[in-house]
Amino acid sequence: MNGAYSGWLIGAALVLALVSLITAVRNRPMGPVLLAGLGLLELAVLVQAGLALADLGHVAEKATFIGYLLGTVVIPPAAMWWGRAERTRWGPVVITVAAFTVAVMTGRLLQIWNAGA
Amino acid sequence: MSTRSGQGRGGEAVRSGPGRVLVAVYGIFALAATSRAAVQIATRFAEAPLAYVLSAFAGVVYIVLTVALARGARRVGIAACLVELAGVLVVGTLSLADPAAFPQATVWSGYGSGYGFVPLALPVIGLLWLLRGARRS
Repeated sequence: MNGAYSGWLIGAALVLALVSLITAVRNRPMGPVLLAGLGLLELAVLVQAGLALADLGHVAEKATFIGYLLGTVVIPPAAMWWGRAERTRWGPVVITVAAFTVAVMTGRLLQIWNAGA
Repeated sequence: MSTRSGQGRGGEAVRSGPGRVLVAVYGIFALAATSRAAVQIATRFAEAPLAYVLSAFAGVVYIVLTVALARGARRVGIAACLVELAGVLVVGTLSLADPAAFPQATVWSGYGSGYGFVPLALPVIGLLWLLRGARRS
């Protein structure tokens, strides 16, 4: 796992949460921008999971760490599905929650990673 | 199931719109609380049995609520919200009054302070949502 990469990922997830929140405030359903954003976020967390798993010996709390990794990978597709199902402003609110959660979970991943073995 | 009467038109009102956000948040907490409890119980149960059992219980309550809200089962949802609210208040108070019994944090420790007090706000928001819909339908 790479601290700088994960830091950027947290920033990107927070930007997506903000864009999604603005969409909700403007009373629009999920559009192509949010869909693409979630797709990119999913790609980014997959890369992060790959980086982290490649050097898993580094962490002491393996079960918790893998749990958070799984969480980050599962959440963006779930948010995409929700955004398509709920064609009101509440779809983007779900995406805001999802993106924020990915940011928090990545923060927890970094904490566990930095605690070391 | 006894929840049939809570479904149908009323159930749709529970599920859609803001209800979907609640389902998402509850889903995340169900995932977080159960997996956390599973890890704690599997790896170091003897350290704080009470805290870990309560952690697991919180996880089950969140799972019940996620399913109840997703299916629009209003009565089960209201009951589970009340259990959840009681749980946050009791565990929150206990964790402050007797920190020795809670050396490791659970979702409900310190009224959910480790999770931005979301666990304290959720049952209140959940109840408001479920009861508001009940009046309308």
